[in-house]
Amino acid sequence: MCVLCSQSLLVETHWTDRRTDAGEPVATAGNDRERQRRRDWQHRAQLLNHVLGHYGLSLDNWQNRHYVLSDRKGRSEIVTDLGTLWPAAAQLLGHPLDPLDPQLVEVLSGVHLAREGC
Amino acid sequence: MSPETKRPIIVVTGFLGSGKTTLLRHVLTGQPAHGTAVLVNEFGEVGLDHHLVRRVDEQTILLNNGCVCCSVRDDLVRALSSLLDQDQRGTIARIDRLVVETTGLADPAPILFTIETDPMLRHHFRVDRVVVTVDAINGQRHLDRHAVSLKQVAVADDIIVTKTDLAPPATVSDLVARLRVLNPTAQFTTAVLGEVEPERILAPRHSRVLAGQQTAETTARDESEHIGETRSLALTFEQPLDWAAFSIWLSMLLYAHGEDVLRVKGLLNVGEAGPVVLNGVQHIIHAPEHLPQWPDADRRSHLILILQEIDPQQIVQSLQAFQHLLGAQLSSSDVRG
Repeated sequence: MCVLCSQSLLVETHWTDRRTDAGEPVATAGNDRERQRRRDWQHRAQLLNHVLGHYGLSLDNWQNRHYVLSDRKGRSEIVTDLGTLWPAAAQLLGHPLDPLDPQLVEVLSGVHLAREGC
Repeated sequence: MSPETKRPIIVVTGFLGSGKTTLLRHVLTGQPAHGTAVLVNEFGEVGLDHHLVRRVDEQTILLNNGCVCCSVRDDLVRALSSLLDQDQRGTIARIDRLVVETTGLADPAPILFTIETDPMLRHHFRVDRVVVTVDAINGQRHLDRHAVSLKQVAVADDIIVTKTDLAPPATVSDLVARLRVLNPTAQFTTAVLGEVEPERILAPRHSRVLAGQQTAETTARDESEHIGETRSLALTFEQPLDWAAFSIWLSMLLYAHGEDVLRVKGLLNVGEAGPVVLNGVQHIIHAPEHLPQWPDADRRSHLILILQEIDPQQIVQSLQAFQHLLGAQLSSSDVRG
C-alpha cells in the first residue's frame, strides 16, 4: 500500500468490480466512466449501510476510492471493496456477517414491509 | 487482454477410472486438436500420443484462510508459465488452447481459482469449461461414497457419461437423471470408448453465453431438488435487479457459506441492454460478463445455485428479505423449498 495515498499497489480487483462488455474489458478512463464509478460507489455504500446497520457497523465513503468501516466502539478499518469489507466486518464483530442470519432476514423483511405500509 | 484473445483452458476431470484419458486419447487425435497443449497429472496406462503433453504433480498450496477451493495450484502456475514463455519465444508450436487433465481424486476448484487469480496467468488464460467424465457402471456408487465425485459433477459445464455400452439402459438413465438434478446447468452426452466429437470438447464455446441460455432453459423446469446433502435451487426474478445490491448479497453469502455453494450460474437482468452472465464455483466467481443483447425474448433473471449443507428455503427467505434492496421480487412460483 502506498503511504501517501493509501492506494494498494498490487490491486486484485474483486469480482464485484470486474466486468467485461461483449468480450472486451471495460476501460476505466474517461470522465463519464469516472462519474458513473463514483455514483455506483456511493450507491453501494448506501445499500451496504442498510445491512451493516443491523450489526452496529457503518460505512463512510472516503474520496470515492475507499470506505471506512466503523463500529460503535470507535474502531475502524479501511476497506477497498466487498472482498475486503466482509473480512474486516467479521474482524470487528467477531463473527462473519451472514445473509441467511434469521435476525437480519427479519429486520430487512420489516424494513420492506414498513416501506410498503403494511 | 480480452476474454476472446485469452487462450481457453478445458479442464477434464472425473473420478478414478471414469475414462478421462480414454476420452482425451480419442479427442486429441485429429485436426481439431491442432494447437492443443495437454497437462496431465499422471501418465496412465492409456498413452496420449500428442506432441505437447506435460506432466504436472498436483501441489496445492493452502492459503491462510484455510479454504480448499481458494488454494493455489503451484504446479499449474509453473507449468502454464513455462508453456506461455516457450510459446511467446517461439520455441514450441503456437498454443491455441490447453487441456488440463486432473487426477481422479482432484477437486477442480483450485484449478479455477489459480487461473482466475494468478497475477500473470489471468491475463493470458481463461477456463473455457470443465468437462467431467462419469462412469455409467460405477457412477452412482462414486457419488454415494466420495464427496469429491459430487464436487466434480457440481462444477461441471459438460458431463460425459462413459462406458454406456457396458451398463444396462435403465442404469444409464437413472444415473443421468441423478446427474441432471445435481447439476441442472450442465450439458450431457454419452460416450463409448471415449468417442465424442472432438469439436465438442475443443471448440471455443463462448461458454458463458451458452451457460446463460442453458440456465434459462433449465429454470423453466421450476425445480429445487436434492439428493443427499447436495441440492440445486433455481430462482427467477421478474423485474430487473439492482446489480450493486445483488453483488452485495452474493458476496456476503459466499464469504459466510462459500464452501457450501458448489456452483452459481445466472443470467441476470440488471436493467441494461443485455443480461449479465454470472458463473462461479464456491468462492470463485468469474468476471461477470455484460452481454450487449439478450439471447432470446425472456427478460427475467434466472439464477441457479447448487448447495450443500444449506437449506434452499433459507436462500429464498434471504432474497425475499433483500428484495427492497434488490429492487426486484423473487418470483415465488419459480421456487420450491
